[in-house]
Order: sequence, then structure tokens, then C-alpha cells
Amino acid sequence: MDAMKVDPVVVRAGDHIVIRMPSTNSKIVCVKPNTTIGLGKFGSFQANALIGQPFGHTFEILKGGEIRPLEQKGFDDAELTSANNQNINDDPQSQKLTFAEIEELKAKGLAGDVTAQEIIGSLTENNQTFAQKTEYSKSKYIQRKQRKFMKSFVPLETTVYNLNDFFFEVNPGKIRGIRVDTLSQVMSLANVYSQARVLVVDDGQGLLVSALLSRIQDGLVFGVHEGDVPNYDILRYANLPLDMRDRLLTLPWTKLHHQMHPFTEVLPDNPSENDRNGFERRQRGHAKLAKSIDTLNGGEFDALVISTNYSPVSVINKLEPYLGGSRMLVVYDPCKEPLLEAYTMLRQSPAFINVQLTESWLREYQVLPNRTHPLMSTSGSGGFILSAIHLASS
Amino acid sequence: MFHEYKKVIEEGDLVVAYATPESMSVIKVSSGEILNNRYGNFWHSKMIGLKFGSKIQSQTGTGFIHLLSPTPALWTQVVPHRTQILYLPDISFISLYLDLKPGKVVIESGTGSGSFSHSIARTVAPTGHLFTFEYHELRAQTAKQEFAQHNLTDVVTIEHRDVISNGFGRNNIADAVFLDLPAPWDAVAAAKQALRADTIGRICCFSPCIEQVQRTALALNEHGFTDIRMFECLAKNHEVRSVPLPNIDEAISGNKINFKAIANELKSKKRKMDIDTDQDILVSKPLDQVRGHTSYLTFAILAPTDN
Repeated sequence: MDAMKVDPVVVRAGDHIVIRMPSTNSKIVCVKPNTTIGLGKFGSFQANALIGQPFGHTFEILKGGEIRPLEQKGFDDAELTSANNQNINDDPQSQKLTFAEIEELKAKGLAGDVTAQEIIGSLTENNQTFAQKTEYSKSKYIQRKQRKFMKSFVPLETTVYNLNDFFFEVNPGKIRGIRVDTLSQVMSLANVYSQARVLVVDDGQGLLVSALLSRIQDGLVFGVHEGDVPNYDILRYANLPLDMRDRLLTLPWTKLHHQMHPFTEVLPDNPSENDRNGFERRQRGHAKLAKSIDTLNGGEFDALVISTNYSPVSVINKLEPYLGGSRMLVVYDPCKEPLLEAYTMLRQSPAFINVQLTESWLREYQVLPNRTHPLMSTSGSGGFILSAIHLASS
Repeated sequence: MFHEYKKVIEEGDLVVAYATPESMSVIKVSSGEILNNRYGNFWHSKMIGLKFGSKIQSQTGTGFIHLLSPTPALWTQVVPHRTQILYLPDISFISLYLDLKPGKVVIESGTGSGSFSHSIARTVAPTGHLFTFEYHELRAQTAKQEFAQHNLTDVVTIEHRDVISNGFGRNNIADAVFLDLPAPWDAVAAAKQALRADTIGRICCFSPCIEQVQRTALALNEHGFTDIRMFECLAKNHEVRSVPLPNIDEAISGNKINFKAIANELKSKKRKMDIDTDQDILVSKPLDQVRGHTSYLTFAILAPTDN
């Protein structure tokens, strides 16, 4: 069997991509042709040089914004030695280069006149205590400097994981604080599959909607939203194929009980260009609304997934009638309290069974030869999930 | 079925007979057969025509069960354990990290009890595929029968094969590889061959012991995998209840409160005691015993190898 090709294998013009920088921080950029992509102190490069390149390689930024693949260095082979920090004191004087000299080196580095390796070489040479450090400590020192001075990056796809990871880091409020492990559990619990029709309330700017769309092919994602148009900002980073956009239907809360009337407007005689455009726009809007309302009223959705700023109980009560039998309700919240009342309500409701409230827990480790340990700093909370199985109406 | 839903139960359908979260089983509906459990006897013939998610009374009317659609998550809870299995938090995290979705091609070894296999199949179907390998002959046979019974043969290919000695027998095909083996480091070279050469490949190695992680990470590094990252992932179940939280004035005035009795009443939702209800609060805490460790998840990516 031939491998399926569901995703682009190279960076395409106009796509959003994730750039992982030497600091291990990430950035999302749009690869617009004929532009320069700036990575701050890590330099800048020509977007055109990246278009057509595969994901996952490390690229070095050369003078003039050219890039070239960089041989990735693996683990260092630092070994246990008898060196220790017995005779090393905190002393800013141990670095013999002056502030001005270091700044000059950095400026030359940015201009591409000296390499990161050369900068790091000068720093270690002029560091009087470097030689006394343990091999592990030397390695850590060099790595720390590499994170600062290397002018390289790794282009990665805007997968759901990468998008979630990025926004959780830079703007958790935007995605209502949902962490990757929690989002992944929401997807499993909701039993999203290719043909699933999912009803969703996503007040986290479309991360949930993006995740759901990524897991359906012939299914449907139906978003009920605040305001006239949905704020699913994160969708624009997901590089969805155009036909996938048709798999998303939306409806404002204000139209939940809306009675649809036939479209009766007629185009006036001798319409102006403006008349015609307005008429067509209203006609399309009417058709779109009618389609959404029909779809919602058809009910029998395969999952109801909720992340909302409103009372979960009130949202569940409004949307429960549209959920099919033996289908999953999954509610995410960054805090446990809004879910407690909902939990109690579901436990008492004859329409739900197997009500569960869970808190997700994730711990990342540094893995290095003889230096494996949990990361010193980590996220304190990834949120809570309330889930239940909805029964068929009798 | 496991990778799609149906609305109405028909002859030959798989149904999860659900009594409680701790008591459920998967049956194949076949008129003439009777499901016996401690909640009573249930005639299969009476299930036919009911909607999934319906309640059904036992023959004597004394007990009842719910008839649910089978899902990978429910299967994880009922699958006969032939090996240590993967649970929902790990399954979910690995699936998202490996970017599994419809159309993706995945390699899994070993198949074990098939808990994760069902979830992968559901996620990559109908256009993707799972190739799963199990070196234990009987386990491979049993899993093969299960995949057939669960109508997953279009999506899942299982092979009885020792991948450490013989590799996967397939090159340049997989978007992602999952290794749950005693010595995953010995399969890293084969995994590299199996991953697609034209695009980024992802791997996850699942090992309970930290020493295994060390060796796996070294092997991944040696074979050119990058971005080696390791995680532990768990989910804690919380129990929710109402508890009385009276003002200390009650004690000062000598009004002795039987906390245990009130808690029991709140639990049974039949409140008789004369205590101000405004003083009840909803509380929750993790269960006293929770799973503390499953395995370490070591991930890495493989940049395209064909250029």
C-alpha cells in the first residue's frame, strides 16, 4: 500500500508554520513569498529560501538571509569527571570579555560576520572558571550559550499539538488554558472519527474547532457561538484545505430558536451593481443560516464538546436535545468549580450515565546521558474534563 | 462499530452492555441468545430495533442495563488484559503528539491486548491504516480475531512477527511509529526504515522504566532522530459531593452536629435533618487511590531522509 499523503510534506507559500528557535521558544509565521522572516536575535531570512523545503530539518541562517540545512548535533558525550564546584565562586569577573566586547561580538554575529561557534569559543576561552567546571557543567554552559547565539531554526507544521503547545506557552488565556494532554483527552473522550458530526461550543478562539476539524474527513463540526460571527482565530493557522472549511457550520446563540422564513426579497428593476451585490449577499446569508438551522434541528449529533465562559449547566441544558443516544458529552474548563454543579446535574439527570470528572497531569523530563530528571519548571495545571454518555430519548 | 456510529441496533451488531462503569461487556447481538449477568437475563432479540443508548429491562423486570455503541474508550475499559494495556490519557497524548488523523499510516509494535490499536484504527480510518505487529503467537491470533469481529480489517493489518529480529518488512510507509516493546532501542533502526523518507516522521517509545528511556534515547540519537522529549501523562478522577459546612456558632451554642449522618443524607439526596442548606457546599477531591505511573513516553522526530 502506498503511504497516504494527507499533509503537505514541504513548506508552501502562504502557509503558516511553526518556527522552533535555538532558545526552544517557538514562533508562528506566515511564509509569504518575497518577504523577510525575522527571528529577533536569531537573525532573519528570506521566506523564498524556505518555500519548498521539508519540515523537521535544522536550518542555519547565513549572511544575506540565505539558509542551509545544518547537521544536527546529537547528545554531547560529557563524562563524569572528578571536577567539582568546590573552588568556583560566583564572580562576574570570571568573564574577561567586557560587556562592550560581548555586545560587539553579538552585533557581528547578527550581521553574519562571525559564527555562533566563534562567539561561544571566545566566551569560554575568556571564562576563567570554565576549565574548572565539571564536564556536565561545561556542556550546560555551552548549551546555554548556544540557545542564545545560534542562528538556526527548525520549521515545523502547525499540527494541532504544535498550535496548542504554542498558544499554551504564549497566550494561555486565548485558548482558555487548555493544555495539550487535556485537549488530547477531550478528543478521545468525544470519540471523534472521520464521519463524526460534532456539536461544539468553543469560547477558546477555535483551538477546539481546529482540533475537531483535523480529525474528521467526511463529518461535520457545528459551532454555536457568541456574537454575529465566530471568533475562531486559531483556524487561520491550521492551513486547512478549502474543502475542509465546508465541513464547519456555525450558528450564533441568538439564532438558536430562530424561525426561518422563506427568502422573499426581490431584486429591483434595473438594479445597480450595489443593489445586486447586496441582494446576493443577503441571499447567501439567508441560505447559510437556513442550512445551519436545518442541520442543528436535525439533531442526532455524535458528540457535544464544550469549552465556554458561560455556565456549563446552562449550555448543556440548551444543547443536550441535539445530542444522539450513546454519544459523548465532553466539557472542558480551566477551573473545577464550574464543572461541579454540572457534574451534580448530570448525575441526577436520567439522560446521562458514566459521569466522570478528571484532572489531567503532565510532566516532562530532560533526558540526557546520566542527567535525566523532571524539568525544573512546568505548568501547574492543564484543566479539568467533565464527561458523560448521553442516552437515547425514549 | 468501533470506528463509526450507528443509530439503531441490528442483528450482528456489537453492543456494549453497560450496567455500571465497573460492570460492562461487549456482546454481538444474535437473536436466540441471552445475556446473563447479575442484573438479570436479557434477550438479544429484544435489543434489535432499539436505539443505541437505550435502557433495557431484564426478563423479570428487576434489573436493567444500557445498550451502548462500542467505542475505543469503552473497549479500553473492558478489553481482556493479555498484557499491560494503555489507558486513555496515554493513548490520547500519544495520538495527538504523533498527529494521528484520518489518512495517516501508523506502525505499532507490540499489539498487546489491542487497547491502543482500536483507538488508532478509529482515528486514522477510513483512508489511513494501522500495521500492528505482535511477537507472541497466541496474542497475535486473538487480536486478529478481535479485529475481525470488530470489523476493523479494512483499517488494521496484524502480523505475528518479531520486529526486533525481522524488522517491520515495510519501508518508507509510515507517518508514525509506536513502540511498546521490552527493548525498544533494538527496533529503532527498523522504525527509521519504516518511516516515510519524504516527510517528517514521528516516533513514540512507551517504557515503564527510566533505564529503558535512557537506552532508547541514546538509540534514537544515534539513528539521527531529533527533538527527543519525554513525558509522563496521567489523569486523576475526582469525586464530587455536597458537604455541610456549618458556622462555628452552632458549636458555640452547644448544637452538636452529626457530620457523618448529614453527609450520608446528602449522598442519598434525601435530606431530613434540620440544618441550614445554605451551609452545604459542593466539594471535590481526587479519589484516594489513583494510578501513579503507567509508562514514560519518549518522543522524537525524524527529518526527511530522502534529501
